[in-house]
Amino acid sequence: MIDPDLLLDMQDLTIRTPSRVLVDGVSIQVRSGRCVAVIGHSGSGKSLSARAAMGVIDVFPGLVRGSLRYPAYTGEKDWFASVRLGVVSSQRALLRDTRALRGGYMTYSPQSASSALNPGRTLGRQLQIAIGRRERPPEDLGLEIKGILEEVGLPPRAAASLPGELSGGMAQRAALAIAIAPNPPLLIADEPETGLDPVLRRVVTELMINVAKKTKVALMLISHNMETVERVADDVVRLQIPTVSHDSLGREREPDPRLLPFLAPAASPSHHATEPGSASTPHPPPTPEQAELPQEEA
Amino acid sequence: MKQVVVSAVGVHKTYTLPGAWPWSPKSEVKAVRGIDLTLHESEVVALVGQSGSGKTTLARCILALEPITEGSIRLEEEPWHELSEKARRPKRVKFQYVPQDALSALDPQQTAIESVVESLTVLGKESREDATKRAEAMLHDLGLSHRLHALPREMSGGEQRRVTLARVFALQPRLVVADEPTSGLDPDRQDSVLEALINNLPDRAGCILVTHDMAQARAWCHRALVMLEGQVVEEITFPDGQPTHPYAKMLFDPWGDHDLSQSTAQ
Repeated sequence: MIDPDLLLDMQDLTIRTPSRVLVDGVSIQVRSGRCVAVIGHSGSGKSLSARAAMGVIDVFPGLVRGSLRYPAYTGEKDWFASVRLGVVSSQRALLRDTRALRGGYMTYSPQSASSALNPGRTLGRQLQIAIGRRERPPEDLGLEIKGILEEVGLPPRAAASLPGELSGGMAQRAALAIAIAPNPPLLIADEPETGLDPVLRRVVTELMINVAKKTKVALMLISHNMETVERVADDVVRLQIPTVSHDSLGREREPDPRLLPFLAPAASPSHHATEPGSASTPHPPPTPEQAELPQEEA
Repeated sequence: MKQVVVSAVGVHKTYTLPGAWPWSPKSEVKAVRGIDLTLHESEVVALVGQSGSGKTTLARCILALEPITEGSIRLEEEPWHELSEKARRPKRVKFQYVPQDALSALDPQQTAIESVVESLTVLGKESREDATKRAEAMLHDLGLSHRLHALPREMSGGEQRRVTLARVFALQPRLVVADEPTSGLDPDRQDSVLEALINNLPDRAGCILVTHDMAQARAWCHRALVMLEGQVVEEITFPDGQPTHPYAKMLFDPWGDHDLSQSTAQ
């Protein structure tokens, strides 16, 4: 049974290295016109899941479990079938086969835009390449580029500038423009608002909402900013840091002690929660009078 | 009467950018335009603003890491910008800077304890044994006792920041200027770094914290200067003060109902 609305269907994705579980049983479904937010602490495998959803896997085949389907595009075909079996060449084959999908069927907006854009090509040229991934080329390319730039709130003259000439907020918008240029049904955005100041964060978030509305793109948004998620997302997938580690023989091992404060409460022994540096609730600064008292630690 | 650590009056900083050719006209960027700042001991002041509002430039000017164009800066009664670099050098121990990018600030070949020991022996003129003891204690206070012999690239972002903090605090400075100590960290780790910063500040030291997060300023600082295009538009005293200037309000609550045309984002 094929659901034509279902753009991405990833079930029970598990990725591990010989010694650690990196992603533990993640299932993500994206339907057209919806926004799915993936949230979780750093180290919970958000970015890895997003890359896997595009068919990019960074570990050896055989260490990956789960299934990946694009029901709206390739029907029942499970792209992870050969990777699951551990065929040595399957990882590269998957990367090669999904190449046709990336850029056309789905696009990716990277985490740090200013370093992800090609520094040697003008924004206009990069947009032109992205538009070239469409099934039907537009009649007037210049007009099309102008229209896309306008959509993300950049002036038309930005088409002539190199990525190095753009500020952080402009670069982030440029990356978004390149991601929506091929008119993809599915857009995967990896923390598009990190490193920006609060006002820019709002601008970029609102931009994403508007663009998603206008182009009817389905969005898979990775974020750890709850304010953004609350405003954009229809569904939320929360990832936990995998608790169980394995040694190279597959035996279970204690989790990394550095991760304990961030793990689910059941998994963290209480004495670790008081370890210095693990507390995450701010408390008010000492008043000047308190600060003048001699400190015991000093 | 509390001593004044920093007293800056009418600070201006203008960068001159050369044109394409030697004879083309030069353009000017006014990064800081007339800022007065007084910092007392045991006080934490935040410089808040959007990217590009001149916060970092001001922070670097205060320590004379950049020459200023106009105005005067006194650090503990020293006319800081009138001294020669040779005269400033031995006094720099007391006025320390925590850089924005911790990984590039640490020597890639020195372990955590080595970099703290080196700053103590070179700047603090301590013997190697004393320095090692002090460095160990300092790193322990910052929760790094299990990472003493780790190289920068083996540490997480938050741990790298805490090593740069330990290196500064071990010298017992009178002034700590921290330039976005939490940028690039995820929200979980930001508070742990700030907590380490505020709780371990040396006795009676003043601190200037550069940040673009108003919630951080409110949680950890005594007052905040809100900067817009090189000028201070408002000074807010915590915990009671509320922002009144529209730009400050916007920074404080970016999702409220604001006219965004004032921000530098456009």
